[in-house]
Amino acid sequence: MEGSDKEPIAIEDASAWVLRTGVILSALVMLTGILFSFVHGTVSVQRMKSDAFEYRPAVIWQGICHGSGKSIIEAGIYILLFTPIMRVLTSMVLFAFGQRDWVYALITMVVLILTLTGLLWIG
Amino acid sequence: MTPNEQSILWLCEVAAASLAGGVVGAISGLGGGIVIVPVLTIFLHMPIDRAIAASIVSVIAVSSGAGSAYVRDRITNIRIAMFLELSTAAGALLGAGVLAPILPERVLSILFGLLLLVSLIPIFARFGQELPQNVSNDRLANALHLNSKYYDKHLGREIAYNVTGIPAALGIMAFAGIISGVLGIGAGVVKVLAHEIAMKVPTKVSTATSNFMIGVTAAAGAGIYLRRGLVLPFLVVPVAVAVMIGALMGTFLMERMSNTMVRKVFALALAAAGVQMLLRGLGVSF
Repeated sequence: MEGSDKEPIAIEDASAWVLRTGVILSALVMLTGILFSFVHGTVSVQRMKSDAFEYRPAVIWQGICHGSGKSIIEAGIYILLFTPIMRVLTSMVLFAFGQRDWVYALITMVVLILTLTGLLWIG
Repeated sequence: MTPNEQSILWLCEVAAASLAGGVVGAISGLGGGIVIVPVLTIFLHMPIDRAIAASIVSVIAVSSGAGSAYVRDRITNIRIAMFLELSTAAGALLGAGVLAPILPERVLSILFGLLLLVSLIPIFARFGQELPQNVSNDRLANALHLNSKYYDKHLGREIAYNVTGIPAALGIMAFAGIISGVLGIGAGVVKVLAHEIAMKVPTKVSTATSNFMIGVTAAAGAGIYLRRGLVLPFLVVPVAVAVMIGALMGTFLMERMSNTMVRKVFALALAAAGVQMLLRGLGVSF
């Protein structure tokens, strides 16, 4: 980018940062959840093999407020699920406002909408 | 042993088994479900639907963990990934929302398994070829600036490459999306095939770019598993954390391997995936 004072942020570097942050954060939250579960009482193998994911965010939030390890794990899984989506969102913003590449900004936006539809509504 | 000690032992078993999935997934661009699903079902006696649900979540972990390294090192072709994700994402929605209730899952598994095994042939044909030769950009690749370059740590030099066969790749990617929507798999294997056979990019770019894409496809597909209660949080933690570590090891190895070696790892994974889909279709419980 000759003529400009600052190089625009490379989409590669921003994507790498978002992915790394999401992975590390979700791992830390999930492991904290495991720790909480074991400190707070007994978790049998049988329970670990049967306790299902509670997907309603409000219920997860209530659980976290009560110090439930399982709810903390569920929050960590949500962070993991939204990591690739945050990556797409970041590249959309950078394609649009960093590179001013409107074709790719549009492509990325459609991908984002389709992905969110799949994650939140279908099935 | 107290129940808590037994539980910690079980978590460690699951984690140890998942580590290999992360390594293979990161090198081959497939995400690792082909290792994790059979290990969870055969050795840890988990029901297949729970194992698939855990592996879908772990695919996101592999894709993001390995992706951060491949993107930073400029091996992933982000433009190819974004453009092709368009047709995969549309295919996935069509598959999950419209086709899943009408298509017979078992017949589809068998056909898909056979297709994977057949696609070993063009891979074998290029087994010894380190880099694709005489590839020129097609019109779409030119218009979308898809050709690029990467620094190959094995060859010790920068490799510039062209991209061809975009219309075919779009079709294959839509098919990959439909397959992942109907069968609930990441279908990374089809994505690598689109790169290798249709677009003819270097194998490392194929697997790194496929790896980058499968996270988005898996995130779109994971919603169904979450709402059906098939995701077990206590199973997901050891699987996801272990595949993240495995994926980091995998990226370190892959960047230093030759393209022919990466293709061999992919071919093995491809064969394993083909056999697994056949068995799933035939109803063999493993």
